[in-house]
Amino acid sequence: MISLLRNQRVRNTLLQVLYVGSLSGLVLACVMIARRNLAEQGITSGFDFLFKSTGWDVNFSLLPATANDPYWWYFLIGIVNTLFLGTVGLMLATIVGTIVGLARTSSNELARLLGRTYVDIFRNIPLILQVFFWYAVITHLPTPRAAHEAFGMLLTSRGLYLPIPNVGRAALVAAVVAIIAAVALPAWLGRTSRLSQPIGERLGIQLTAAATALATAAVILAFGRLPDLPLLDFPALQGLNLKGGLRIPPEFSALAIAIAIYGGSYIAEIVRGGFKAVGKGQMEAALSLGLSPWRVFTLVRLPLALRAMLPILANQYVWLMKATTMGIAVGFTDFFMIVALTINHSGQTLEAIGILMTGFLGINLSLAAVFNRVNKAIALKGNQLRG
Amino acid sequence: MNSTQSPGAAVHIEDLDKYYGSFHALRKINLCVQRGEKVVVCGPSGSGKSTMIRCINRLEQHDGGRITVLGTELNDDVGNIDGIRREVGMVFQHFNLFPHMSVLENCMIAPMMVRKRPRAEAEATARGYLEKVRIPEQAMKFPGQLSGGQQQRVAIARALCMQPQLMLFDEPTSALDPEMIAEVLDVMVTLASEGMTMICVTHEMGFARRVADRVVFMDGGEIVEEAPPAEFFTSCRSERTRQFLSQVLGH
Repeated sequence: MISLLRNQRVRNTLLQVLYVGSLSGLVLACVMIARRNLAEQGITSGFDFLFKSTGWDVNFSLLPATANDPYWWYFLIGIVNTLFLGTVGLMLATIVGTIVGLARTSSNELARLLGRTYVDIFRNIPLILQVFFWYAVITHLPTPRAAHEAFGMLLTSRGLYLPIPNVGRAALVAAVVAIIAAVALPAWLGRTSRLSQPIGERLGIQLTAAATALATAAVILAFGRLPDLPLLDFPALQGLNLKGGLRIPPEFSALAIAIAIYGGSYIAEIVRGGFKAVGKGQMEAALSLGLSPWRVFTLVRLPLALRAMLPILANQYVWLMKATTMGIAVGFTDFFMIVALTINHSGQTLEAIGILMTGFLGINLSLAAVFNRVNKAIALKGNQLRG
Repeated sequence: MNSTQSPGAAVHIEDLDKYYGSFHALRKINLCVQRGEKVVVCGPSGSGKSTMIRCINRLEQHDGGRITVLGTELNDDVGNIDGIRREVGMVFQHFNLFPHMSVLENCMIAPMMVRKRPRAEAEATARGYLEKVRIPEQAMKFPGQLSGGQQQRVAIARALCMQPQLMLFDEPTSALDPEMIAEVLDVMVTLASEGMTMICVTHEMGFARRVADRVVFMDGGEIVEEAPPAEFFTSCRSERTRQFLSQVLGH
């Protein structure tokens, strides 16, 4: 017996059994206590409430929403809103971060100073304060009557109004997809065939792809037009309020700006670190071959810096995605706020929080999975690298 | 010292000065390398050898004096710098291959982007030079999958693909394991026998004896002595050179 306990393998197995056993005991105890407490307070647990109508409204939704819609539809609205805010916020933060990060690695002293000041200020102010600040700025813009106007867009304290084409929903979605393709396709073609065609031919192929995608978008919009209406629906003053166009509410703008500026300061540091990690030798080799500074940047420095940045960037994106839950502070109906309202109205606290956690786990694990795949695909091959 | 101006000179350096802050790294260097000549530069570490050859393609900017490479003066004119870099190949101590590109891409990128060669021609040239450095079978691998000696031979092929008129070697074998030094030196010997103009910073005295037309000894940022190898190794004039040689050849 003693000798059996001295066996390393037996010991390890025993420890595992103890660990798993006590963990499942703990979980079981929690569930039983929760059930008894719920029963004592007369709360019925379960997910039946998902199919009841909510009876309250949301202030912003990309999907059609009425107070008669069931809870599960509202959760979907919340997830879509969170994804929309997250996507816009992450894209803006990446743009800001890239510009500031490049400024910080620049040889220009003024650019470096501006970059450092930016990072020092915005990284050290709590995100929630920045959200309130931008919300206050936007809600103090002029009233609809005195709106700032540019290119048919109106900027007011009630939000940003954009003109939208008078086309059917399906056609609009299809056109957006085609326009995204017009940008993505040439980039993808450029990546996959970097060395398989001479530069001149490659440019031709890329331009053709972009033109085709844009033409498709134009055709879709032309055929999807709603009859008897002008091509674009401009927002216009009617009485005291603005009618028509697409309204971006101040809550959304404040959150998107705050995430862009706060996240941008973190991403700037990641970008700077990535560029610093690129060996000076590779750049000297590229210069010694006569490549222009621009080519050295795009062919050597950027691709190597991206590889160094990506794992940390994925981390930051997951973080910023979770930061969308600040929506509740200014009243943007993101996933978290929908869950909070659901708890208030239905009392199904445990279920709603379970759905919230599952939803965020799903979003962030997918994000991480995508980044892991990309990381693996572009990882440098071999282990004999020096310098 | 040999500093007479000649129109056919590959590299002509006059009174070259270089500072790092207040440190005087190169002091009034004068060196003239003819086309087809092979010059080996040696000297203790910190003597300015690397700095000097890095000035020749402007990886380091010089602070005084004149450098003329293949008839073009190296100054702030970007066109001149690009023109010189196109014609001057360089091999580094740490290879400095592009780790995200295959061996073949490493060799094709500059001819395609700088010389605007069509892909097929660039690939044929690249495969030709990979054959020459005796690793044609590694073309589709990535630098990190090759041994140090193989990587350095790829680096030589990459530089040769630009069909340079002058090759600079900055301690090409210093980062290699002993058994890999020979394979790199063999390639360099072949290159020399084909008439390439070469300036090599190296401690490989056997290579210097066999290939060099002239050996230049540097110390403290100055050229202390330069002589053909036979003379250099047997009857050097300076005490510092004798001391250095006894240290490298001592074992």
